[in-house]
Amino acid sequence: MEVVDALAKACEVRPGEAGDAVQGATPAYVAAPAAVAEAAALMGTAAEHGLTVVPRGAGTKMHWGAPPDRCDLLVDTRRLGRIVEHAAGDLVVKTEAGLALDDLRGVLAGAGQQLALDLLPPGGTVGGVLATGVAGPRRLLYGSARDLLIGITVVRADGVVAHAGGKVVKNVAGYDLGKLFTGSYGTLGLIVEAAFRLHPLPRAAAYVSATAAGPGQALQMAQALLHSTLVPAAIEVDGPGPITVAALFEGVPDGVAPRAEAARSLIGGRIGDAPPGWWGRLPDGEVLAEVRALPTALPDLFAELPDGRARIRGSAGRGVWHVALPADGAGDALTRLRRHGTAVALAAPAGVRLDRWGPIPALPLMRRVKDQFDPGHRLAPGRFAGGI
Amino acid sequence: MEEFRELLDDCVHCGFCLPTCPTYVLWGEEMDSPRGRIHLMDQLERGGPLTASTVEHFDRCLGCMACVTACPSGVRYDRLIEMTRARVEDDHPRSRGERLLREAIFAVFPYPRRLRALRGPLRAYRRLNLDLAPLLERLSPTLAAMERLTPPPARHVRLPERVAARGERRAVVGMLTGCVQREFFPGVNSATARVLAMEGCDVVIPKGQGCCGALSLHTGRDEEARAFARATIEAFADVDVVVVNAAGCGSAMKDYGAVFAGDQEWAGRAAELSAKTRDLAEFLAELGPRATRHPLELAVAYHDACHLAHAQGVRAQPRRLLGGIPGLEVREVADPEICCGSAGVYNLLRPEAAGELGERKARNVTATGADLLVAANPGCTLQITTALHRRGEHIPVAHTAEVLDASIRGIGKESFISRR
Amino acid sequence: MARLDGLAGRLREIVGAESVITDPAELRTYDCDGLTYHRATPGIVVLPDTAEQIAAIVRACAADGVPYVARGSGTGLSGGALPRTDGVLIVTSRMRRVLAVDAANQRAIVEPGVINLDVTRAARPYGYYFAPDPSSQQVCSIGGNVAENSGGAHCLKYGFTVNHVLACEVVTPDGEIVELAEGPGYDLLGAFVGSEGTLGITTKVTVRLTRLPETVQTLLAGFDTIERAGEAVSAIIAAGVVPAAIEMMDALSIEAAEAAVRCGYPPGAGAVLIVELDGPASEVDAQFARVKELCGEAFEIRVAADDTERGLIWRGRKSAFAAVGRISPDYIVQDGVIPRTTLPEVLARIDALAREHGVRVANVFHAGDGNLHPLVLFDGAEPGAGERAEEVSGRIIDLCIEHGGSITGEHGVGIDKAKYMPRMFTDEDLDTMQMVRCAFDPAGLCNPGKVYPTPRLCGEVPGRRTGVHPLVESGKADLF
Repeated sequence: MEVVDALAKACEVRPGEAGDAVQGATPAYVAAPAAVAEAAALMGTAAEHGLTVVPRGAGTKMHWGAPPDRCDLLVDTRRLGRIVEHAAGDLVVKTEAGLALDDLRGVLAGAGQQLALDLLPPGGTVGGVLATGVAGPRRLLYGSARDLLIGITVVRADGVVAHAGGKVVKNVAGYDLGKLFTGSYGTLGLIVEAAFRLHPLPRAAAYVSATAAGPGQALQMAQALLHSTLVPAAIEVDGPGPITVAALFEGVPDGVAPRAEAARSLIGGRIGDAPPGWWGRLPDGEVLAEVRALPTALPDLFAELPDGRARIRGSAGRGVWHVALPADGAGDALTRLRRHGTAVALAAPAGVRLDRWGPIPALPLMRRVKDQFDPGHRLAPGRFAGGI
Repeated sequence: MEEFRELLDDCVHCGFCLPTCPTYVLWGEEMDSPRGRIHLMDQLERGGPLTASTVEHFDRCLGCMACVTACPSGVRYDRLIEMTRARVEDDHPRSRGERLLREAIFAVFPYPRRLRALRGPLRAYRRLNLDLAPLLERLSPTLAAMERLTPPPARHVRLPERVAARGERRAVVGMLTGCVQREFFPGVNSATARVLAMEGCDVVIPKGQGCCGALSLHTGRDEEARAFARATIEAFADVDVVVVNAAGCGSAMKDYGAVFAGDQEWAGRAAELSAKTRDLAEFLAELGPRATRHPLELAVAYHDACHLAHAQGVRAQPRRLLGGIPGLEVREVADPEICCGSAGVYNLLRPEAAGELGERKARNVTATGADLLVAANPGCTLQITTALHRRGEHIPVAHTAEVLDASIRGIGKESFISRR
Repeated sequence: MARLDGLAGRLREIVGAESVITDPAELRTYDCDGLTYHRATPGIVVLPDTAEQIAAIVRACAADGVPYVARGSGTGLSGGALPRTDGVLIVTSRMRRVLAVDAANQRAIVEPGVINLDVTRAARPYGYYFAPDPSSQQVCSIGGNVAENSGGAHCLKYGFTVNHVLACEVVTPDGEIVELAEGPGYDLLGAFVGSEGTLGITTKVTVRLTRLPETVQTLLAGFDTIERAGEAVSAIIAAGVVPAAIEMMDALSIEAAEAAVRCGYPPGAGAVLIVELDGPASEVDAQFARVKELCGEAFEIRVAADDTERGLIWRGRKSAFAAVGRISPDYIVQDGVIPRTTLPEVLARIDALAREHGVRVANVFHAGDGNLHPLVLFDGAEPGAGERAEEVSGRIIDLCIEHGGSITGEHGVGIDKAKYMPRMFTDEDLDTMQMVRCAFDPAGLCNPGKVYPTPRLCGEVPGRRTGVHPLVESGKADLF
């Protein structure tokens, strides 16, 4: 039997096209399971035929991570797009992985609730956000995907369906596979369902933004907000030229107004209902890196940037920033940034040679985890840290 | 031992006692924590052997009772360790050296007259101004500890048998003079008598009183303790309230009821004495202030004596009394629940551990930056003063009674501090 | 035990003779953690001071194929630190230094034996605290918190230990010292926290510190019935309020707490609710007024006027477990979780179960997140009572699973609930989780027998499998 026929028994499948290419690797097949059982059957068939598998949601971040060594089968998750359960009274939602986060947001807003994850870049799916572990400004208050995820269903490399966590927020039964899979770039298994804790939609919000004279002052402003008792939901910095520090306050109308006012008295600037234009967007540049360092390292990071076209944007409270770099000299810039923390090149133009990941302290353990979950190294091979 | 079993079973092994236990704080070992010791007691009760190592862990307990305060299940560790110590003394043959040491301590401390006799040689020895400490340390850490702890000899004060109330009489109270208090800190006793009198109490100080038995009771010398207790009960038979200014004594006297439970002849009288025993601060707080307080511009670090805070639950009263003095600021010592290492005769029996605890306490006392340390137990005063001295620091120390006395008499800060 | 004798000698070389315990009576004091129902006297107890010593101990154990278990303060309630009679118990109670408080970056670095509350004590002068606050916070260790992913009353708003740990230095079962942190690669830190000591031993923890709130408002509301209290909880959540904590206690647990700490809860209450809000004053004031309205069915509402009164309100709640010792000789604490909305139904079923089996059940729970702590009371001296209590306890777990909840919200699975894992997870789920175990500890020497009822064979495994666990021997757990 032809491979394509075997795959077709599991779910909808078609031959891959140039437009399906994952960083230059055009898949032989593109399959689109519409149910967990179909996804399981699909992965089982792929295992039987030794196919390499790369998952794809909305495809907004396929250029992130290293190019796969091979891609026989692209699994398009968008038909796994249902909300499995929204338990509004319990502030919990369980969805399939291919659901667009924008669609989910609409449904939750109807109940006065939200999944407190900022979507960047826009247009992604639940599975994509989890697989890349990306988070936006409000990670300061709410944490990132790993902190909001309470349950996960995955299909293993061998086609077996496995769950971890559940649909209650408080739960310590068994290993937290959800966290392990968050940010794993499809290298451990196919994420098919996820359950999240929700938050009430704030009744009011205000942004306070001010321009800093330089990195040192930006740090001072961020620190003043961070150590205040005003509980900002986000403290973002964007720069250079000029450097802006902005904070978001969420709450009840009577609470937000005085908090924003108090924040302005700390950092100056202005109060607005809408965020600055750059808020919650990735900085534009040829190479996009995620940098983690101590919040107080902010001026050092600015100092390491190559002149001109580089940009830092991100959470001055949590110490996680996105940095856009020109391709030329990006490798050196990453090396310099790594003096202060970690720097991972999320996206880089084809042909640019650089060390995407930097030093990875526990790499041998990570390889062993990979060997357990995907002994044949068929899942997104080569996409991840250390060539996993 | 039906009662012992029941007391053991109250422990649910939650561990809340661990961080309050001085020996657990020092060594981090389960068997040197209250929970671990209860486990060892449980093993014994179930017929396990009383080994030297088990005895060692019981001996290391300071009996500070911080665990009793911390315990949410209401375990009577105080009773458990007392009963266990009595059994250890009965069943466990101690080495000759250990025996002699214990005998020596108990031949002196509970007897004011013998303590006084010791003061002569001590005074002579001080006059020689020889530093014998290194030699003693080598010969016997206990003797070295004794040497360190001995305060400069004070002039003996003889108190009358009755001190009349100033102004209208509000109460008639008996007063315990104690052993160590009486011999090493006679000023505390006179201050206590004066404060009581100035607050309107007739103070009765029975001549025949001796040691209350606290040191013996807390070290498992059961028979000796009972003998002392019986004498104390008799000495105070005629007063309605017995005021005690030494925390260890007060706690022991409040325990007489339990000690004599089951003793047909003495149970009733013992319970009666326990019921009428009051710590000085407790009594003064109940009575309410009447005498005028004069200002004392002092920052005071208040030390919770274990036998006051844990054994008697007296924490707020002394702070309130001190805080009631104009100009006086009460400062808290960090980790107030952890024992200073004095613990009756512990600092003589276990000088190394006691020394470490004293050092911790001294550090925390110094950190308060206070002008004066107030402690309501003679053992604590000796212990902390010694530890401060070893650190090359000096903070004057006083008893609550002495501070109140200074304020009521209007002595003033300079002259009060300079006398210390 | 000849093998252990040889090992004891090597351990003495590593940590010094005074830090290795082999005296039988002393060893026995380590035979259980906070859960006394399961006991096993360790073969050897060792009290290391450094990560390097722990690494050497682990390597020595691995060389001899001897299992080992890590323990902090020994307060766990699932038997997670239950020792092995044929193994080594590695106790971190001497590793209790707060190495750094970096308030500017909102973090502290501590050794694993540091007591939870001591982190807050160290941070408070800078205006910070450590948010996870298990009821045992005055004694439990950070290493234990990491192992169990401890929660506490305030995790409703602030999350669990895993949300407050930024990095862990870990001795892996290979005896290597590695740093697990957020950064490039898999989130091994996320997998490690809450793995109940089965993936390695943490030797240094970087924790996130949380800014002390401007204002804390706490109320205690007395309700006639537990149903009314439950309705108030639902109303508060539905109003979009996120309190720092919502705690509930029923009449029996109130009685116990009252006996223990004289907390002065409203007399005659069928249930009390503790609701705490914290944050900026302007937010809290507005929300607190709303919460008071929503507790309208209460017959008495007390608002804590200051820290002392707040302390007293919480004292009753925080001492509740141990306080039950005052009203019952023995008890089993459960730790089930249910979706909050099923609370009234599940409580009614628990009540029926208790009556049916003739046992008393005291209910203490984190009502905000549906984490129940039913305390099943019994007298071990009474024949059959223990079995009946165990039966009720197991049925309560079934109720939680039936309602889409969990068998444990914060106490962990440990040895105690391993048998319930197959009721909550499929064989495939458990097999998949244990792939992580195989990656970290292929020889299965690191706290074996915990969490999973059946160990997964990890393929070609270096080292050898060791003796049968005492619980298996005594028929309390299965192994094949």
